[in-house]
Amino acid sequence: MNQELLEKLSECVEFGKINLASPYPPQMKGMPGADEITKEALEAGVTPGEILNEALISAMNKVGQKFSENKIFVPQMLLSAKAMSASMIHLKPFFANGSVKRKGIFIIGTVFGDLHDIGKNLFSMMVEGAGWEVIDLGIDVKIEKFVEAVQQNPNAVVGISALLTTTMVHMKPVIEAIKSAVPETKVIVGGAPLSAEFAASIGADGYGKNPQEGILWLDKISA
Amino acid sequence: MNDLEYPKVKSNFSPPLGDGGFFHFTFAEVAPTFDEIIEFVQSADLEEEHPAVIFIREILAELNFDTAISGGYLVKDIEELNAKQGMIRIDGQELNLGRQVCGYIKESTHAALFLCTAGEDFTRMTNQLNEQGDIMEAYILDAIGSLTVEKAMDKIQENLRDSFLSKQLKISNRYSPGYCNWPLADQKTLFNLIGENKTGITLSDSCLMTPRKSVSGIIGIGKHLKHHEYGCKICSNATCIYRKILNE
Repeated sequence: MNQELLEKLSECVEFGKINLASPYPPQMKGMPGADEITKEALEAGVTPGEILNEALISAMNKVGQKFSENKIFVPQMLLSAKAMSASMIHLKPFFANGSVKRKGIFIIGTVFGDLHDIGKNLFSMMVEGAGWEVIDLGIDVKIEKFVEAVQQNPNAVVGISALLTTTMVHMKPVIEAIKSAVPETKVIVGGAPLSAEFAASIGADGYGKNPQEGILWLDKISA
Repeated sequence: MNDLEYPKVKSNFSPPLGDGGFFHFTFAEVAPTFDEIIEFVQSADLEEEHPAVIFIREILAELNFDTAISGGYLVKDIEELNAKQGMIRIDGQELNLGRQVCGYIKESTHAALFLCTAGEDFTRMTNQLNEQGDIMEAYILDAIGSLTVEKAMDKIQENLRDSFLSKQLKISNRYSPGYCNWPLADQKTLFNLIGENKTGITLSDSCLMTPRKSVSGIIGIGKHLKHHEYGCKICSNATCIYRKILNE
């Protein structure tokens, strides 16, 4: 029964079935969505940790995989993220009281001078769905703001995003300032014009060509 | 030499011909079509009942901005163009376009400096959707804002092209700071050259524009300009989710 609920929840997130009222996907119309199934699962004694690990993370993994293979695009991914959020709302109290441990804190922002946020937002959602607490600093994030966030969360991992060749060069001073403030901080960078070589050349620890690659890197360093 | 007739007004968009320098648009006049939006958000394969498709149909019927969409251009003499150094001089000020953009407009004798905005409403509504957790809808509305400002700029560029065609002058594609290796920091010089204007666009310390759905840049004008492809057409990055935004 519990396994069945987790499988149903996973399916809701994968295909973007948010709640009972959501008419999409058509084959799930009139059926409970991520919201109701999470409630039901908790009431049935499924632990928040099982919900996170066995339903949400696996569903978002599938979504990330399909996105990286161009089988789905941004709108479908966002619909899945919305369904994940509908489930996550019920888990938040357990995160807050410490009964469910997350993998860590992930601080993310688009580098200063750049206002592009779609890639950053998608990755944030994937990271949250992968079991991390996400602190999103937004767009056009100045060096000082990154440093302040790292000082307040010294064990956090940092993600920096840039879309333009003219703004990706701003990432290096951010990484230097972060490493200078909290030397052991791991930093991953991403964005359309970047490459693994560029990431290495500016002192980043990781590079995500797409959200899924970034998640794999996070999994590796948190293992 | 300068054979154009236009008033040299630095404090506002100066119409090079008639009233051609500044434009207001209603949303209906520059609205992207359903098909353009669907293609832009890569949703051509989605079913009719997919929430993304339903939202696009609904929001297109709802959006009704009357005067917030505006833009214009100011035509200036190019005093010096050094393609090797990637620099042009206008009104004694250097714009460091970089070699790529300078190369594209190197046959220009004049330049149209432009600004265009889709207005604050897109940002306000997008933020509202994000705050209420409607992230997919916010993404689509943001995309519509991007398409709208580009379509408005297309119309302004058409006006510019038509104005100068009668003088046997061609215009280049449009180029913006931040793209094609033109440093974003040049926004400051560009805004300085344009001066006060009716669009209401302002520049932040980090050279970003408010309203967010705004574009700025330069269009070369000259007798012997050649056409160069730009933006997504010359970009090989297949994974970029913005690749359709830039001057398709």
